[in-house]
Amino acid sequence: MGRAVRTLFVAGCVVLWLIPLYLLVVNALTPAAEYAGRPGWTVQGFDLWQNVRTAWDAAGIGDSFQASLLYAAVCGLVAVLVAAMAAFAVVVLPIPRPAFWFWLIYSGTLFPLQMFLAPLFGLYADAGLYDTRIGLMLVYAAWAVPFAFFLVRNQLTTMSPELTEAALIDGASFGRIFWRIHVPLMKAGLGAAFVFQFTAVWNDLLLGITLSRSPDVQPVMAALTTLNNAYASTGPPVILAGALIVSVPTLLLFLMFRGLFLRGITASTR
Amino acid sequence: MTGTATPAHGTTAKSVRVRRRVPTRTPHQAAKAGGGRLGGPLAALPWALPAFALVGVLLVYPFFRSVYGSFFEDNGFTSSYTGLDNYARLADDPIFGRSVLNTLMWVAGTLLLPVLAGLLIAVATHRMRFGGIAQLIVVLPFAISGAATAVLWNFMLTSDGAVNQVLRGIGLDGWAQSWLLEWPQNTLAMIVASTWQATGLNVVLFAIGLRGIPRETVEAAELDGASGWRMFRHITLPQLRAVTVVVVGMAIVNSLKAFDMIWILTKGGPSRSSETLALSMYRETFRLFHVGYGSAIALVLSMIVVASSWMYLRRQMPDTGPTKS
Repeated sequence: MGRAVRTLFVAGCVVLWLIPLYLLVVNALTPAAEYAGRPGWTVQGFDLWQNVRTAWDAAGIGDSFQASLLYAAVCGLVAVLVAAMAAFAVVVLPIPRPAFWFWLIYSGTLFPLQMFLAPLFGLYADAGLYDTRIGLMLVYAAWAVPFAFFLVRNQLTTMSPELTEAALIDGASFGRIFWRIHVPLMKAGLGAAFVFQFTAVWNDLLLGITLSRSPDVQPVMAALTTLNNAYASTGPPVILAGALIVSVPTLLLFLMFRGLFLRGITASTR
Repeated sequence: MTGTATPAHGTTAKSVRVRRRVPTRTPHQAAKAGGGRLGGPLAALPWALPAFALVGVLLVYPFFRSVYGSFFEDNGFTSSYTGLDNYARLADDPIFGRSVLNTLMWVAGTLLLPVLAGLLIAVATHRMRFGGIAQLIVVLPFAISGAATAVLWNFMLTSDGAVNQVLRGIGLDGWAQSWLLEWPQNTLAMIVASTWQATGLNVVLFAIGLRGIPRETVEAAELDGASGWRMFRHITLPQLRAVTVVVVGMAIVNSLKAFDMIWILTKGGPSRSSETLALSMYRETFRLFHVGYGSAIALVLSMIVVASSWMYLRRQMPDTGPTKS
């Protein structure tokens, strides 16, 4: 009985998982004016570019898209660099009380975001950082550090201390050791951490709706939410086109760096 | 699909605490022989400072400020010390009770659906023809954000959405209903929607675990005449134990933090019936300006997250070996 049941089960799951994706694409193609009020199961014309343009311009996804790209790329990079330096200090260098530093930085991943929101809002309102791009970048960078730190640290602990010793005997400075030895050897791990944190920042909604308001500052998921709230007036095809737009970067990243992703996940399950 | 599996020992995962000493190295001999070239232990400090500054100012400080603020009656303009008053109010707030119930539903639903589906799909597609493609399709939604998933499922779940079309199409008219407008259904429907997104990651993790099962073990079991269910029950499941610990741990924490999906699909409504603790905190703080009260909810949620992952891991860590048969 095994084989047939198994094939049927897998086929059933694949169909179940594909249906929403299929509906997403098919209905994003429908010309907005011709939407029948019910999801279409067959292609009803081809007006994807018009829908995408409407979502991009009229609904303000375009501005947010650029803002989010900036946040995700810059904060991902900064977070990974800062985390790698901290991991280097905690694992390789003779820092006093390494366990304390580890838990201090790592504790950031333990708590739900709700624990930081209200004071952050107050802090930002006082410092004039509310609804500014730099403010969001700061908080995203801080938020992305702990998990990146965790991933990089895991990789550092697997590297042999003899390397550092040899370099020290040769008279290399810490900076030189870090940039010339550890960074090149950790390329894959750093890449995985960057992909992870880019995705996390890109997908964030909660920090975005809490700390920003204006269209050119708010991240893309917040813009999508606004668009979705205007469900009746814009029509589903435009909203679905918006959902497609915001999913493209992370989908591309995932498909391009699937191996990195998997290695990163494997590293985190150790 | 490449990626070498490693035997999981002292399993750790994102936001899951494990009781073990953080392995750190004592400074090596060469450093001491270098004779002061290291500039003493403080020379390492600048390397940790940027991370410490970012995390300290923007995460650690707000955290303690939240704890502090939860003892105050604070409406965003004035605040006065009220001690444990906020927590007392939580206890007899019916909305808070419903919120806790929904949060528990999310935890139970997330453990049941994405974890179980992930295990079944991973086992079924393991060493199967086109299994990799099937896995990839299930994993795809994982790369889509929670917000985009919610927007798509909003389209599926509205009263004349795709789900009801299908139900009517196969003659189950009685089952078609306004999914998002009544209480138990709306939470359940959202759990299903998040299952569609979250299963992929579990499939990946279980698949990595399956690849790590030694061939010899499987062959030995086959020689002993194990197959099908018995093989799964006595060989596969015990071998996947380490991965399961990680998957379940992540599932618990992520389900407690669920926000995006609920915020977009129901805003916690109608009349706050589908709120979870994560949403209650947001609404109380940023919509109703009960800042102190919101902080108290955040603290309760944090305590649940930390306590549940700690208790769960403490139960899992003493390795009791394979489950008793």
